[in-house]
Amino acid sequence: MRVGAYELKLEKRVALAGWEATIISILAIVFALALFSILFILAGVHPLSAYREILAYAFVNSYGLPLTVNRFIFLLLCTSAFIIPLRARLWNIGMTGQFYAGALGAFAVLLAFGGKALPPPHLPPALVIPLMVTAAALSGAVLGAIAGFLKGRFNVNEIVVTMLLNFILYWLVAHMIKEGGPFMNPGGRGESFELPPSVYAPLIAGTPFTILLALGAAVFLHFLFAKSRLGYQIKAHGHSPAAARYAGISTFKIPFLVFVMGGVLAGLAGYHYFAAVPGVYKIARNYGYFGDLAFYGIICGLISLGNPLAAIPIALLFGGLSVGGRYVQGKLDMGFGVDYALLGVLMITLVAFQFFYRYRMVWMKTRRETVSVDGNLP
Amino acid sequence: MHKGLLEGIKRGETVIEARGITKRFPGVVANDHIDFEIRAGEIHAVLGENGAGKTTLMNILFGLLQPDEGEIYIGGQRVNFRSPLDAIDLGIGMVHQHRKLVSAHTVIENIILGHPKAGRILNLKKAEEEIAELCEKYGFKVDLRAKIWQLSEGEKQAVEILKTLYRGARVLILDEPTSALTPSETRKLLASIEAMARDELAIVPFITHKLPIVLAISDRVTVLRRGRVVSCQQTECATEKSLAREMVGREVIFRIERARVERGNPILQVENLSARSDKGFLALRGASFSIHEGEILGLAGISGNGQQELAEVLAGLRKAEGGRVIFEGQDITDASVLQRWQMGIGYIPSERTEVGSIGDFSLVENVAMNFYFDERFCRQGIVDYGKLQQLTEEIVSEYGVAAPSPVIKAKNLSGGNLQRLILARVLSRKPRLLIANLPTQGLDVGATEFVQNKLMQAKKEKAAILLISEDLDEILSVSDRVAPIYEGELMGILPAEEAMRETIGAMMAGLRSEGGEP
Repeated sequence: MRVGAYELKLEKRVALAGWEATIISILAIVFALALFSILFILAGVHPLSAYREILAYAFVNSYGLPLTVNRFIFLLLCTSAFIIPLRARLWNIGMTGQFYAGALGAFAVLLAFGGKALPPPHLPPALVIPLMVTAAALSGAVLGAIAGFLKGRFNVNEIVVTMLLNFILYWLVAHMIKEGGPFMNPGGRGESFELPPSVYAPLIAGTPFTILLALGAAVFLHFLFAKSRLGYQIKAHGHSPAAARYAGISTFKIPFLVFVMGGVLAGLAGYHYFAAVPGVYKIARNYGYFGDLAFYGIICGLISLGNPLAAIPIALLFGGLSVGGRYVQGKLDMGFGVDYALLGVLMITLVAFQFFYRYRMVWMKTRRETVSVDGNLP
Repeated sequence: MHKGLLEGIKRGETVIEARGITKRFPGVVANDHIDFEIRAGEIHAVLGENGAGKTTLMNILFGLLQPDEGEIYIGGQRVNFRSPLDAIDLGIGMVHQHRKLVSAHTVIENIILGHPKAGRILNLKKAEEEIAELCEKYGFKVDLRAKIWQLSEGEKQAVEILKTLYRGARVLILDEPTSALTPSETRKLLASIEAMARDELAIVPFITHKLPIVLAISDRVTVLRRGRVVSCQQTECATEKSLAREMVGREVIFRIERARVERGNPILQVENLSARSDKGFLALRGASFSIHEGEILGLAGISGNGQQELAEVLAGLRKAEGGRVIFEGQDITDASVLQRWQMGIGYIPSERTEVGSIGDFSLVENVAMNFYFDERFCRQGIVDYGKLQQLTEEIVSEYGVAAPSPVIKAKNLSGGNLQRLILARVLSRKPRLLIANLPTQGLDVGATEFVQNKLMQAKKEKAAILLISEDLDEILSVSDRVAPIYEGELMGILPAEEAMRETIGAMMAGLRSEGGEP
């Protein structure tokens, strides 16, 4: 593109500093919001007031903020579950299934302790809660291990395996909580029995303690990749399996481990949403909605370029916008799903802006003579 | 663009002229005001070490890169290439070092692929006639209906040359054309090159280390060093020594001094070892040999005769089909790769960029490939990157790796520097057994000399070394004993000092030795 004597050129970036990536991401978010305002204008809503409503509900409102935080915990766990295999260049598309598995594991512990009985029995929280968390983590791990084992041993495509396991687990949950299933609510409302109040997850300033698990996992992963031997092995395998093998890194162990670790975190998300979020405390009828939301872990993971700490603000933003978007849709009486539409636009813009991670634009002064000689050539 | 700039050009007229070509890459000036000229009918060799800027210059002339400064004239007309397509249209052809052919297709299909005349309906018969004519004219012997995967390296290269000629090239740029060829294939190629030059084609082979070839065929030679033209002269005026000096910037000793070391205990014993190739056939058949302390065993042979499989079995990367591997008295046939590294076996793979290093890793992380499991650099699962950086800085300076900083990515290193880094990394583990697979392939004179000296030094430090090489001169001058390999079988083992070049050559082609020790 030429303007006067200047030409706009694309130049390949050699390296990308952290602050540059941050600025690019912020610009992308601003651009996405500007783009989405067209939809608000078309719907006859003033975009600025709409955004004010969304942000105020998501991040300030005393009803909205806890919803945002719970979504954030859920999304961050799913994002971390995606990031670990991603660093080994393996794709975990199975957070949804691992999330369901985690929920089933946690409720299986309750069932074993007779938690289904009515009236709700008193269960010892110091024993049952850690067991539920462990069971959720293990169930997610087992599901991840299936994909990791098949990938490591037989090189079966991990995307296909994790994806298909999602369907199996979706129907397994249905089987467990619907009519006749072992987790069926005695009222038969297509949802699971309710958590006895004695084993509600402890709250820290109104927030489930699972926030510590989610943030802790992100920090742990950062440390894992920056400093540890296992992190080094995962990264080496991700960049070049052949070179990793040459260096003595097991091509079975790495795929297996990253999927087990990813499964653990997605499984914890299952515990979090159905056993720790105040007001839910059961495997809800619309569990599929949350399963779909788990896919946003992929987007958050890709946008953060596999950086577990960068995933924190991104998961918070996505969590907040999904809550605020749903709210504003009802409040302003809009005729379409603002939450998913907004997340969609945001996602596409952020991914498109990754172009600027690799290239930058520079204005160059054009040399007149070159142009004319170039122009002479027929 | 003008299609016919080079039509009817006569012998001795300037075909391409480059003036003041400058190309900068981050942190390095790859081409620094290079003037370069090619005339019709001449063979103009371009010489230079790895990283001297040959490839950059040729890529600019072929339109793959755009120069930051400077001008290119073709047939006297100023041109501006936007892509290789422009260069191809003007009659410039390039044959890259790495083959760019569709291996499941036939020779003809590959040659007409992308040709403007090959429209939606293929006229294979006419194309075949035309291509056969070209073959006849320049002495290429290729079965035009064979599939690419059935061809030898030399034949594949002939296909690439034919492809550019069929596309109408008047200038042919050949990137290290003889590096993958056997001696007899090289001879045939040189004859074809001379035939093409007689036909007023300008040919630019650019070559790193085979100076005798440069002297034998070229009319003029341009030497590049660090992005600048050091000299441009008639080949008659040059000698092997003078060219090497200009390339490296100092005197080069061609014959490496063979170190005298007392032969010690056997370190490696291989008994009746067999292995399958990736395609499943038995590529290594019953190899038996031993390597002793302070000894270099040279495995001589044309690539693809089982050397790769042998190296990989010894490194633990490939399963043995039969036989045993004994290292310092211990059976390691089933040991893992990691166990072997820890025991003191070092492997320098031939695939530097795919296996030996990780391009997106920094030099420090690349050095970590052989140290992440080492207690000195990794305690309780935590890698000590600070200490690794120190080690990297040490070996970078000791081995003369040209790198501005130890945290740059390995993909920014030139081939020779990358090999120095890999060698440095493996040798600094002080291996008892070193498997060096094509350690000097594609390296320039200076780097080759360096690598060979380092192997000698390791030998003096009592390592047992298996040197796998296609270069018979290297094998004969560096190793103590020579084991020619042919179709997966060792043809015998001879002491290198007494071995006749011809004998080894014959054994590499499948002749068994009379009285060699097993």
